[in-house]
Amino acid sequence: MDTQQEPRKTFVVPIGPQHPALKEPGHFEITVDGEIVTAATVRLGYVHRGIEKGVEQQNWTQAMYMLERICGICSHVHATAYALGVEALAGVQAPPRAQAIRVLVAELERVHSHLLWLGVAAHEGGFDTLFMYSWRDREMIMDVLEGLTGNRVNYSCNVLGGVKFDVDDTHADAIRRAIDFLEPRTHHYLKVVTTDETLIGRTRNVGTMTSLEAETLGTVGPTARASGVPRDIRVDAPYAAYPDFPVKTITATAGDLEAKFVVRIQELFESYRVIREILDKLPAGDLAVRMKPRIPPGETVSRVEAPRGELFYFLKSAGGLNPDRVKVRTPSLCNWGSVLATAPGHKLADVPMLIAGIDPCFSCNDRLVTVRRRSTAETWTWAKLRQYGIEYYR
Amino acid sequence: MDLEQTVVAAETLLKPFAVGAPSREASRLDVVIRRADLPAAVKALVDARWGYLAAITGLDHPWPKPKPGAKPAEPPAEPVGPVEDRLEALYQFVNGALVATLRVSVTYHDARVPSICSIIPSATLYERELYEMFGIIVEGTPDTGRLLLPDDWPDNTYPLRKSFKGLNSAV
Repeated sequence: MDTQQEPRKTFVVPIGPQHPALKEPGHFEITVDGEIVTAATVRLGYVHRGIEKGVEQQNWTQAMYMLERICGICSHVHATAYALGVEALAGVQAPPRAQAIRVLVAELERVHSHLLWLGVAAHEGGFDTLFMYSWRDREMIMDVLEGLTGNRVNYSCNVLGGVKFDVDDTHADAIRRAIDFLEPRTHHYLKVVTTDETLIGRTRNVGTMTSLEAETLGTVGPTARASGVPRDIRVDAPYAAYPDFPVKTITATAGDLEAKFVVRIQELFESYRVIREILDKLPAGDLAVRMKPRIPPGETVSRVEAPRGELFYFLKSAGGLNPDRVKVRTPSLCNWGSVLATAPGHKLADVPMLIAGIDPCFSCNDRLVTVRRRSTAETWTWAKLRQYGIEYYR
Repeated sequence: MDLEQTVVAAETLLKPFAVGAPSREASRLDVVIRRADLPAAVKALVDARWGYLAAITGLDHPWPKPKPGAKPAEPPAEPVGPVEDRLEALYQFVNGALVATLRVSVTYHDARVPSICSIIPSATLYERELYEMFGIIVEGTPDTGRLLLPDDWPDNTYPLRKSFKGLNSAV
């Protein structure tokens, strides 16, 4: 601050935790000088549920279902990362057909997640027509996933050692029909986000991040790739069936919000291609191998590419029936740094777009504890929680 | 760069700091280092632009419980084994398919590690999580406010330590 003159007064705009801009709770303190942002901080944890601690009390199989509920949007990648890690610790490998189905569901999930993001980002930019259309189209994928797995979210596709269900011709046809419908729509959306004057006004040269910044800030996923940093676990360290069904890394060089739109939309085409390829060449064979309930002692790291970027799991077994430690580092946590670093210099009105730009997922990076007043504190046992769930849905 | 070259590059960079031989497993390289060497080791990786920091994982290795009927073992005043009765912080760097882990062990009564935020500014969120969940004090980290836990969470209560069994019993 300049000490020679009267110190300039700064004004802090608190946003959240509950706010109209995003559907999930997060608290931001945006320091502004007039309309220009000079600093930004974030406070997370409003939906922290203690899952890392919780799984230490579950057995290896139960833990997978709990971990799948870390995120409602990219639930399948959590279960996949965990299942692959546990299989690595146990020294077993899921059959090829199971690995291909895992990738198939993961790519369908990526399509639904990217379309969801497209709608949210368009909405933040005030373009509600695009929001409505992209979410309408997203329903195609939700229907396909529901037909395939029985659920719109939390598909419970994985079991330790394989997958739970098969993909038959009826499913394959339904998926192909959905993709055939979505592909021309996606071309149209790509044209809209690169030519619509109003949207470009909100996205072009906004929140620009150079590739060096993206690299040093440790960003991952589409956020990094939009700045020309080719980080994609599906390519860097192929897992499950990705060695047999390789994907191409999509990058852009501009690094602004428009590039984030373009990268995500172009990734949709890549997902469509892989989904079709898997349906055409689905390997025959078993769906799962049997696994013992005790996992041999050891440590492993399991990494998968979630729709938002690299999902990092660290698993430690002490040789018992339950995990000794499960560490989850989700892509949103990596990408927060980029929002806080690029916000200064922008208008306050751009902040919701910048936040939406990384496709943040609060549930993912939070994961703990019911917040409660001390006076009414009550510990729920697992049995009681389970009973509550059964009664609730009866 | 293929996997083996990446491994060799990491081993060369971390060799001056390694305590004992690094352990290697398919796509992982674990290097045990001394707490004081942490910033230098991190700087060596960052200066060489070797990958990026993917996560800081905390681990709790409590003194093992005695078997039923056996006389409880007295925890020694100074930690003895490489794994037991310690907290451990794992700094996981990723380059392509390889995960290189810097392992730093600290005792419960002296649970502190130096901050690496001056080298990697984005590590601040991971360091705050490490402190909140495991009570490993990160010396020199720029922001020590609550990140994930509620504002009225009791002090000196670290939920991911093995001794934490729930709030009611901990308070």
